[in-house]
Amino acid sequence: MNPVSNSTRAAAWLFLAPALALLGVFTLWPMLRALGWSFTAADLLALDSARGVGGANYSDLLTDPRFRRAFLNTAWFAVMVVPVQAALAFFLALWVNRPERYWRWLRTVFFVPVVVSMPVLAVLWTMLYQPARGDQMGLLNALATGLGLSAQDWLQNPRLALPAIAFMSVWQGVGFQMMIFLAGLQNLSPEQLEAAKIDGAHAGQRLRHVIVPAMRPSIVFVLTATLILSFRLFVQPYLMTRGGPEDATVSIIQVIYEMTFLGRELGMASAGAMLFLLLVAALTLLQRFFAREVRS
Amino acid sequence: MKRGLGWLVSAAVAIGFLLPLLWMLHASFRPEHAIFEGGFGELLTWQGLSLDNYAAAWRRAALGIGLLNSFLQVAGILALGLLFNSMAAFAFARLVFRGPRLLFGLVLVLIILPVEVLVVPLLLTVRDLGLTGGHGRTLAALILPFAVKAFNIFFLRQHFLALPRDLEEAAVVDGARAFRIYWSVALPAVKPALATVVVLDMLTHWSDFIWPLVVCTREETRTVQIALANLFTEPPIQWGHILACAVIITLPVLLVFRLAQRHIVASDLAAGIK
Repeated sequence: MNPVSNSTRAAAWLFLAPALALLGVFTLWPMLRALGWSFTAADLLALDSARGVGGANYSDLLTDPRFRRAFLNTAWFAVMVVPVQAALAFFLALWVNRPERYWRWLRTVFFVPVVVSMPVLAVLWTMLYQPARGDQMGLLNALATGLGLSAQDWLQNPRLALPAIAFMSVWQGVGFQMMIFLAGLQNLSPEQLEAAKIDGAHAGQRLRHVIVPAMRPSIVFVLTATLILSFRLFVQPYLMTRGGPEDATVSIIQVIYEMTFLGRELGMASAGAMLFLLLVAALTLLQRFFAREVRS
Repeated sequence: MKRGLGWLVSAAVAIGFLLPLLWMLHASFRPEHAIFEGGFGELLTWQGLSLDNYAAAWRRAALGIGLLNSFLQVAGILALGLLFNSMAAFAFARLVFRGPRLLFGLVLVLIILPVEVLVVPLLLTVRDLGLTGGHGRTLAALILPFAVKAFNIFFLRQHFLALPRDLEEAAVVDGARAFRIYWSVALPAVKPALATVVVLDMLTHWSDFIWPLVVCTREETRTVQIALANLFTEPPIQWGHILACAVIITLPVLLVFRLAQRHIVASDLAAGIK
């Protein structure tokens, strides 16, 4: 390294100061406080009188039925969304990967729901899922009855609510994954690209033996990134079902918030947040690990 | 022949995929009783369409002030963020010495921190700092915690590192000139990366929900997303108003997307959630 002059040193700290100050005050400090609270019985309205409880919050959470329910819901949501969204995105990418500029609009179409705000889409799909009351019904039920199927109360049926939210989420995010696959396709060699035209004979074989192996880095990335994003589920069930019916769609984040704002159990909620952070960190490490495996 | 068929299939798939949004737009002009009436045939009707829902939603949800709040929030985050993130990135890329290097490791760790985890302790911190209640304070609470973003520092640092070194070699030798080099040489050279950051942050923060939900406690401090959520949860529920509000919120997003599409590069998207 070059010898560093004092004025460079001073300049560096000046450049870093605003960013470090804001990160310190609004990220690091709150996180450290939350870590501290997670080992106490802190009450939201009486922070200072918190009594230390050691790791009790953590062990309580791991056996708390609602927290476990939320974890299972979120895991089940991920199991529904990740493979379907990735597979759909993969085929969309193959389909819209056309060199002519003229076809660009097709990519844009699938990306539009990605840029529309999630609260807007959650509200919209609540309306699309409206049950039938007389001749009034949502678009999904109009489609179902039009096809001769029976109308459903999608969001108020405990068995259908989470799959309905998963379906909406796949639709919302598939364009994002598609774009990442498209970037991956751009790295293929001309012969591989030729094989990636999915029409014609032996399409399935070419897909399996040429394209999927060549696209492995993108596939690993999309699968792991979607997994992490699915675990952060909150807005859709919060607006569409409030976590119901019968907690069928309650998410980890919602449980943590209700502990804080309804139960005032700040200590418990902080422990929940730390567990959630550990989960996300573990998934991220998993992602790095797989990404490295694929590269080597 | 084959090309015509391909076009037809593509158009059909596209319309099917966008049907929810097309329905939203159409239904937002319909009278309340007709919104859930009948099946697909109704989608093509142009009878009874009016702007009544828009007028009512604008009034009921106080969308004028909501749009202003959201606009100020996003503008504030972008302005402060562009300056502070790029300054930090420049320091990490070009003004290296031992202390900041360790700090950069810390910044990298912060990238994975999901915002959802931060909300509760951040709310209490913001309260301690007195940033709740009135208009200016709430705005500060919306902007300050999210202006500096670990990922943006990392992303811009990569772009500063990719610049040819002789372009600003002088900065390393002489710290006093560092700011001028940063401002008039380095910053203009990474304009495309700055544009990407602006577009992605704009779309992200326009959609912000969890944080405004806990910070915007008064009607006059609400952002548009919270205004929408309130129409959706506070009786009397008027679906037409909700739809009109949703369309109004979505228009600026689509406009930005249309204008800035070329700045949304797939590889950057991938980096954004790493």
